[in-house]
Amino acid sequence: MTQHASYGPVHGPPEGEISRRGFMRRMLGVGTGLLSLQFIGGTIAFLWPNVTEGLGAQITLGTAETINTAAPQWAEGLPYVYNQANLFFVNVPAGQARVEGEGLVTTPIPDPGDEVVALWRKCPHLGCQVPQLCEASQWFECLCHGSKYTILGQHRDGPAPRGLDSFPVSVVDGEYVIDTREVVSGPPAGTTGFDERTTDSIDHCTG
Amino acid sequence: MSNGERGGISRFIRESAVWRSLFRQPYPTTSRTRALAVMNNVFLHLHPVRVKRHAVRYTYTFCLGGISFFLFLALTLTGLYLMFFYVPSISRAYQDIQVIEASVAFGSFVRNMHRWAAHLMVLTVFLHMIRVFYHGAYKPPREFNWVVGVVLLFCTLWLSFTGYLLPWDQIAFWAITVGTQMAVYAPLVGAETSFFLLGGIQVGQDTLLRFYVMHVIAFPLITAIFLVVHFWRIRKDGGISGPV
Amino acid sequence: MTIEKRPNATADKNVPTQAPARAPLTTPGTGPKLPGPPGVPGTERFRLLAYVKQESMVRVDKRPDETLLTWPHLLRAEFVMAMLISGLLVVTSVFIRAPLEEMANSAITPHVAKAPWYFLGLQEILSYFNATVAGVLVPAFYLGGLAMIPFIDRSPYKAARDRKLMWVFFMCLMLGGLLVTLIGSFFRGPAWAWTWPWIDGLFFTL
Ligand code: HEM
Ligand code: FES
Repeated sequence: MTQHASYGPVHGPPEGEISRRGFMRRMLGVGTGLLSLQFIGGTIAFLWPNVTEGLGAQITLGTAETINTAAPQWAEGLPYVYNQANLFFVNVPAGQARVEGEGLVTTPIPDPGDEVVALWRKCPHLGCQVPQLCEASQWFECLCHGSKYTILGQHRDGPAPRGLDSFPVSVVDGEYVIDTREVVSGPPAGTTGFDERTTDSIDHCTG
Repeated sequence: MSNGERGGISRFIRESAVWRSLFRQPYPTTSRTRALAVMNNVFLHLHPVRVKRHAVRYTYTFCLGGISFFLFLALTLTGLYLMFFYVPSISRAYQDIQVIEASVAFGSFVRNMHRWAAHLMVLTVFLHMIRVFYHGAYKPPREFNWVVGVVLLFCTLWLSFTGYLLPWDQIAFWAITVGTQMAVYAPLVGAETSFFLLGGIQVGQDTLLRFYVMHVIAFPLITAIFLVVHFWRIRKDGGISGPV
Repeated sequence: MTIEKRPNATADKNVPTQAPARAPLTTPGTGPKLPGPPGVPGTERFRLLAYVKQESMVRVDKRPDETLLTWPHLLRAEFVMAMLISGLLVVTSVFIRAPLEEMANSAITPHVAKAPWYFLGLQEILSYFNATVAGVLVPAFYLGGLAMIPFIDRSPYKAARDRKLMWVFFMCLMLGGLLVTLIGSFFRGPAWAWTWPWIDGLFFTL
């Protein structure tokens, strides 16, 4: 080992048997180390976020009827924007009809039963707010870096690593209940569904 | 500086016990008193009594480290002023900034100064690092001080980043959303890191409070501690490095 | 570390500080051969005046013309700089307003969502690579790489030609960083699409 002139020789612990004093010193070191770890752990635990409202709670959206009243186009497949929890509530069969009819739905589907998904509007790329369905492509197109998703949240284009994240939905007494305590990671890129169009075959809202 | 028979009142002041308890010696004019002045003053004794000749040339350091430090002080002061009118709450923060801009005397001036000094400081810290590299001043015995410098670079960036959210306007909100989302990609603990930084899964009230605390107390303190170490090391490593 | 004993370092106030050109020596074998006060061999007294590490500023054998007094020379330089920077800050702050946009609204994503300028390089890199690489490994490598510089470059030489490798490494970090930052700042617009600042306008806020 080379040694730079600025430093003196390296002093290691004395070799051979550990002396009583040496042992105590090491134990003191170990004890202090453990205490510091405890301190750091405790600090992180104390500062750990304590989420009580908004996203992170169980949200009752109401029945299909309530949604249809609030957003008449829901039956024609246009996702319902639920701002309080920042999500798209998608009527899947109506959405399929909408995509296949390129925006035109002849027979609206007002009550899809449990065929719904709750997509989180936070783009899995860098977290921008994903805007409402683009009319030209019938996809969700993120304005920030141009990630594109089908109406089911499957990733089609752009830098995002996966599809849109979602929240589990259950139907309780005809009412939709969304559990936002747990985020379900979006489907991996390449997952396909009924919408098999490619990026180049259609027009877009973002580049 | 002596005024002989004249100057009743100023003479009275300068001969009073109060004055002389503050200033133990006359205005330093000789080498000896000048050396003492630097040595005996807690602020000045950050410096050695004598410095190398080239260290004083503007073109050696371009004063970049000094400017960074000066900006740090200016930011501390203007930041303190702003704190009197700012509440870190999502229902008030934005209005508070508007009030500072519109109705606080010199409010807009102070806010502008805080903002421009912050940007300038990021710039001068980078330039300072480049100057130190150019002179090879990271070489022994200054390796450790270089590492302290990298910590200071991080602190500077982090101070700037946390401050960016505080006006709670659209630029702030989305810049921080985009910035913190990068942390989510960290292996293993990415999502937890982001959750911890944001105080939730989205930028919101908890984020504002966390960033505020980091911006106005935690990181200024950490930075100040590392600055003390930085300056101390400069002296202990034999003052400023020599020309290449 | 060395303890240096020099003629004038040993001088007591009552003794002339001038050491004779050729000083008498102590008896060999009884101690260090050091010059004593003039004319009185064997009576020299020593005081430890300084305990000096090698590269210290206050070397006992410093030549007088290497240094300047901090007061006034360094302090003057610092004062001038402080005044210049204050002036610059005051003028900028009087004439240029810090931006303030609409109030934050999580429901409206602006067309251009950019991080602060010093992170735009990172954001630009994020649009090329897999996010774990760009968002985490690049910054970690950047700061870590910077911190490692003194431990990679162990040669004692400081001239650029003697540490070419380090220069290349450092310049890659700096110029590479500058390049991506400039692109991210001025050549990216809505949806992070390429824009020419002189055609499409600037999408940049400080
Ligand atoms: C908050 C940020 C910083 C402040 C306020 C600061 C301040 C200073 C000051 C006042 C000096 C005296 C010489 C000069 O003015 O150039 C100095 C020297 C030095 N700085 Fe910094 N610095 C900062 C960040 C950094 C960074 C980012 C690095 C490198 C990664 C660094 C490494 C050094 C080294 C190695 C020296 C000794 C240079 C020499 O001996 O020539 N500093 N710093
Ligand atoms: S945040 Fe949506 S594409 Fe980048």
